[in-house]
Amino acid sequence: MNHTKRKKIICVIPAFNEEKNISRTINDVKKYVDQVVVVDDGSSDNTFKKAEAEQVTVIKHCLNRGQGAALQTGNEYALDQGALVIIHFDADGQFTAREIKDLIKPILEGKAEAVIGSRFLGKKSGMPWIKEWIIMPIGRLVNKILLNVTLTDPQGGFRALSRKAVSMIDIENDGAAHCSEILYKLTKQDISVLEVPITVKYDSFGQAIMGGKGRGTGGMRIVVDLIIAKLIR
Amino acid sequence: MLQSIVAIIIILFFLSKVIVKRRNNDISRNEFLLWLIFWLTAGFAVIFLKRIDSLVSSLGFSGSGIDILLYLGIAVVFYFIFRMRLRLEKIEQNITKLVREISLLNKNKK
Repeated sequence: MNHTKRKKIICVIPAFNEEKNISRTINDVKKYVDQVVVVDDGSSDNTFKKAEAEQVTVIKHCLNRGQGAALQTGNEYALDQGALVIIHFDADGQFTAREIKDLIKPILEGKAEAVIGSRFLGKKSGMPWIKEWIIMPIGRLVNKILLNVTLTDPQGGFRALSRKAVSMIDIENDGAAHCSEILYKLTKQDISVLEVPITVKYDSFGQAIMGGKGRGTGGMRIVVDLIIAKLIR
Repeated sequence: MLQSIVAIIIILFFLSKVIVKRRNNDISRNEFLLWLIFWLTAGFAVIFLKRIDSLVSSLGFSGSGIDILLYLGIAVVFYFIFRMRLRLEKIEQNITKLVREISLLNKNKK
């Protein structure tokens, strides 16, 4: 990390049963941030041990609570550590670590308080066609109808948030629906949001319609969670 | 007639259960009132089934009173499931808060 010594940039990596990828992901990310915080979300494998071996901060959830819950834990810890910019980065190695610079830049330049990585702004992602042309357009429509979120990639998990933005949002959705929730809360509170193109490597399909890895994942579950969140609040 | 008596006995059984639970403070006052109203309504519906029949036909429905009660019963059950789902969601959120608190406390102790 060399572009600034004064700015404390912390990368929060939520991880659930990622023993195969966590070390590589941490080492990829380390170069671009001041501190890495891994939140082990109740993994039953060696994710915790592997992350600790990389000499980074590791927080352990004693139960699997979902990616949204892990990110909120990471956010709270990062704020406590004095973070000025917080990056959210998946543990599975699908994101490209060098693009962290592209996400941080608009915040450091004061152009935005939140920068969201989008898989639909030109860069090739190798996304399965059914996801790109059927599932994601439906997802965008659901986000538009339920939350009035109109960004190109409401389910993207690669984002950079300023301290101010993180302080103003509290992730209440434990599962994968947190992506939409974050965008909704940012928009609602008039926090300036910018989208930048990112590259995502697809080794597998990722989240399926009916379920995925860990608590609160899967397309249908996300829709149900968004509806319930609307009813509770 | 026999069916009505059986239904009344069942309703009285559940009504007594609700009263005992309230006496033992197992359920809150609001919950007690909810169930009391529910079972009393069911009891009245059984007793005045013939009146409900004529009411239903005067409203233009082709089914009998018991059919309408069944439909209403299903609607009520769905409502309770929905309420339970929301309550469960709140409990899940509280569990998450506890897990987060514990994890951050453990981290800060180290």
